[in-house]
Amino acid sequence: MNRTSKILRYVSRRLLQGIPIILAIIVLNFFLLNLAEGDAVDVLAGEAGSATPEYMDQLRAKFGLDKPLPVQLLVYLKNVVTLDLGYSFRHDMPVSKLIVDRFWPTLLLMVSTIILAVGFGILLGLLAAVSLNTWKDAIITVFALITYATPLFWVGLMMIVVFSLNFGWFPTSGMENIAAFHEGFDRVKDIAHHLVLPTITLSLFYLALYTRMMRASMLEQYGLDYVVTARAKGLTERRITFVHVLRNALLPVVTMAGVQVGALIGGSVIVESVFAWPGLGMLAFESLFARDLNLLLGIFLLSSALVVAVNLIVDVIYSFLDPRIEIG
Amino acid sequence: MIDFWKRFSRNRSAVFGLAILVAVLFVATIASLIYPEDPFRLAGKPLSGPGLNGFLLGSDSLGRDVASGIAHGAKTSLLIGLIATLAAVFIGIIFGAFSGYYGGRIDDLLMRITEIFQTIPSFVFAILLVAIMKPSIESIVIAITVVSWPGVARLVRAEFLSLKNREFVQACHTLGMSDLRIMLREILPNCLSPIIVIGSLMVATAILIESGLAFLGLGDPNIMSWGFQIGAGRTMLRSAWWVCTFPGIAILITVLAINLVGEGLNDALNPRLRERQ
Amino acid sequence: MKIINLLGTAVLVTLLSLFGVAHAQKSGGTMVFLVQPEPPTMAGYVSTSGPIGLLAPKIYEGLFDYDTAGKMIPVLAESYEMSADGKTVTFKLRKGVSWHDGKPFTSADVQFSIMNVLKEVHPRGPNSFKEVSSIDTPDSHTAVFNLDNPAPYMMRAFSAYESPMVPKHHLEGQDLKGAKLGNNPVGTGPYKFVEWKKGQYIRLDKNEDYWGSDGPYLDKIVGRFVPDASTRTAAMENGEVLYAAYNAIPNIDAVRLKERDDIGVTTDGYSMINPMALIEFNTKEGPFVDAAVRRAISTAIDRQFMIDTIFFGYGKPATSALSSNFSATGLHAEMPNYPANGDIAAANKILDDAGYAKDGNGVRMKGTFDLIPYGEDWRRGGEYLKQVLGDIGIQVDLRYEDVPTWLKRIYHNYDFEMNLNYFYQLSDPVLGVHRHYGTNMIRKGTHFVNSSRYSNPELDKLLRAGMTQPDATKRAAIYKDIQTILAEDMPVVNLFELEFLTVFNTKLKDAYGSAMGAYASFGNAWLDD
Repeated sequence: MNRTSKILRYVSRRLLQGIPIILAIIVLNFFLLNLAEGDAVDVLAGEAGSATPEYMDQLRAKFGLDKPLPVQLLVYLKNVVTLDLGYSFRHDMPVSKLIVDRFWPTLLLMVSTIILAVGFGILLGLLAAVSLNTWKDAIITVFALITYATPLFWVGLMMIVVFSLNFGWFPTSGMENIAAFHEGFDRVKDIAHHLVLPTITLSLFYLALYTRMMRASMLEQYGLDYVVTARAKGLTERRITFVHVLRNALLPVVTMAGVQVGALIGGSVIVESVFAWPGLGMLAFESLFARDLNLLLGIFLLSSALVVAVNLIVDVIYSFLDPRIEIG
Repeated sequence: MIDFWKRFSRNRSAVFGLAILVAVLFVATIASLIYPEDPFRLAGKPLSGPGLNGFLLGSDSLGRDVASGIAHGAKTSLLIGLIATLAAVFIGIIFGAFSGYYGGRIDDLLMRITEIFQTIPSFVFAILLVAIMKPSIESIVIAITVVSWPGVARLVRAEFLSLKNREFVQACHTLGMSDLRIMLREILPNCLSPIIVIGSLMVATAILIESGLAFLGLGDPNIMSWGFQIGAGRTMLRSAWWVCTFPGIAILITVLAINLVGEGLNDALNPRLRERQ
Repeated sequence: MKIINLLGTAVLVTLLSLFGVAHAQKSGGTMVFLVQPEPPTMAGYVSTSGPIGLLAPKIYEGLFDYDTAGKMIPVLAESYEMSADGKTVTFKLRKGVSWHDGKPFTSADVQFSIMNVLKEVHPRGPNSFKEVSSIDTPDSHTAVFNLDNPAPYMMRAFSAYESPMVPKHHLEGQDLKGAKLGNNPVGTGPYKFVEWKKGQYIRLDKNEDYWGSDGPYLDKIVGRFVPDASTRTAAMENGEVLYAAYNAIPNIDAVRLKERDDIGVTTDGYSMINPMALIEFNTKEGPFVDAAVRRAISTAIDRQFMIDTIFFGYGKPATSALSSNFSATGLHAEMPNYPANGDIAAANKILDDAGYAKDGNGVRMKGTFDLIPYGEDWRRGGEYLKQVLGDIGIQVDLRYEDVPTWLKRIYHNYDFEMNLNYFYQLSDPVLGVHRHYGTNMIRKGTHFVNSSRYSNPELDKLLRAGMTQPDATKRAAIYKDIQTILAEDMPVVNLFELEFLTVFNTKLKDAYGSAMGAYASFGNAWLDD
């Protein structure tokens, strides 16, 4: 069998395996959420100030919340099969529209975060590995760990205080200057300007992960036979590091980055909250406390599907990069 | 053991981390001795700066002693980290061991279940669990466990996969040992070192998750923890920086120490690195 | 026949504002203000939710507004006339007003808004317009309200926030909850809805065809959503937002920002809201069924301490079941059992006398204390109260759940013992206070009513009398009796009158003038540079 058809078969098998996972996630979360006291109508009525039980019952009937749980679940699943994520009664809007609106900001933040974190992580990990157990190694390790161990919201707030309030370099929060309503290229620049602080804050958190992975991965490669052979052949340590070890060491790091992009689609509740970034994390957070079931399930569904898809893509790319890896 | 310590102590930052960790543990143990009062007790003038009005690290908006809170909170935060990690490691080992050892259908089933939990955005899922079970120390531990175990399962499975075909395991089969006995007595001890490493890091992550939950208002209102202090002090960061800075530093130092120790363990337990030196 | 010509006062007010103010209003500019949290929709006619209140009254208008002295300011109605028996109220509507879509505003809209919308689905409308049996529309600019009984309190409920007038042609025959209008509001107000970027902002632009002669001056107003309180403060400091009401900026920061020249802080604009912090007790089961225990708790609490430490000095210790803001109408009377600074010894004595002995650990009784899940301040309050209760031998565990769980627990399942909460006492006790104590207000599943399930026929009689008594002196006497009974029985222990803060950039001028404060229209607001 040739390689392409093998990969195709592999992809379709993995996709098929992904479906039950996503279904299970829906079912699991559906029942979990229904275990929680109160429903969307309670929240709406509580916010509104007051509502008669009769009116609340009317709303429940309208939202379909009066039906038995299994029926509600079946209705939801039926919609999902037709790629309809349902309706958010709280927002009076289709779930897909709400999610799409928040998806792009999330993607923007996450991709820039990963690029920054992976870039610096590789650099620092490399540096640490070539100077193993020296002061450089120690400083890099401690630096990466400090950025990881400092509570995110603290870093975020300090960023705002220092770079927005004291230096005035960046806006405190939001995604756009909404007093100005820029258009075209100015808008792109404006969004990039707003993106800086949240990206740095969030990437500091992931920096440690990539630094450590890169360091470990490099050390692992150093221990392999081909390095010993290369040394025996008389290659310089420099050449060994940059030509052989580095290339092989990058592979798991890049894989991890791919997997993370998928996982990060769920958003970062804390960074979005601190910087008022309109991402999916806050949307999920708010919809949980509003018992906006359809919306929350929709977000879970989307992020799970993305994780499954990204993992698959990463695996396939991986197999191209390293033909020794057998797929199937 | 001595050999292990030698290798561990070669990594100076790991030793440094261990020293900090021991200090934190010490403070947690003697918290009730140095601060016998309930840390929630109003102890004096609200919002006193560090060193003022008899408060070593200042007081918060209700006049509670920040230092007392940190000492008592150390116990809570470490316990949350420890229990959640132990639980996650326990579940992870069961899933990973059976999956890796038996393979086939069992592997497929267990790994699909693992993937379900791995695919849900974990922090949001933790929030969901805590919200549903009501914020309390138990629900926080459960939530952290639920989002942490899949990583362990994957790791254990990989170890089991590579170990189960080794000669010594084959030999045990020939001797007629039961599967369970082989898994527990022969394979598991051989994959303890990566489990210890990942576990040590999970303790740190658990402490961070707890503080993140507290930041979002999902902490246990009855138990003093670092996360609680941060949640209570975060809005006054600008006016009374000490209220949440010191607990933040406590988290930072502890998480850092645990990670350094973890890294040290990794280096000391990793046979390949041993040869390099 | 009593005729009130409001037009005259309006002209006077306008003249005053023209000559009394040294600088002239400038036109133009965008005013960004904080809205927290993000509202689900902008359907102010089905919800009195705070964030909707911050936005919808810029788009929709009421028949009247109220100035800071409580006087009625004509808005969509130019004047009204009440019959001698108080059962017929005739409104003369403003001419030449059109909806944002260009259609004219007429008496049919008023009739529809009151009868088909507010009386049906609005949270408070059924109370405010309880006595309105029908509305006649003899011509397109006259609306005649026919009442079953006189309802003087109704005249306090015509603001844009309380009773917005909505376009009949957008709602008629539709399901009110799901109508398109909720997300695409069409009103008569000074600002038109333009865009809602979920998670970011709502943008409203100046209504060029506004009927008013002065204003609106601002080109755009934008309501911004910023979830984190510290970031909100930073945005205010940075000049990114110019106005933040309802404690969107935490008090501790407001106190700090007040010192700056470019930022002002005010407690004005909340007199029609009248918020009161309190503890509700379960009077039917659990450890607090005995009124003596509740009195002891009320006696023990250092109200001033809570105000000083949690709200940084903003607030007033409660002295009875009614807010001291009702002093203006003579209804408020100071009562015993509400010591401002707390008296632990006296509280312990009450409990000793009532026969609750302390055990070896100094504990008389145990219980669970629920906290309103509306932010950190209330958690601090609960933590303080837990300590005080401990001092009088009542050991409580705090419980802090999310909003839906909490609502269900308190107002549906009654599965609580004591609950920290706050209520709006509004502009009259009939609207804001009766719901807490009346037997007819024990309504399972309805939020923010009598969750204590306190029932006292004697009090019920007094409440009914207070509702209909037109004479001020007699009414005051009735409410004194009501407060005396409640100070003794204390199904609810009032803690303190909250003072909400509005923080604003001093560039922003004339954002006030209405008693509704942030729930008014910004119609006269302008930016000075």
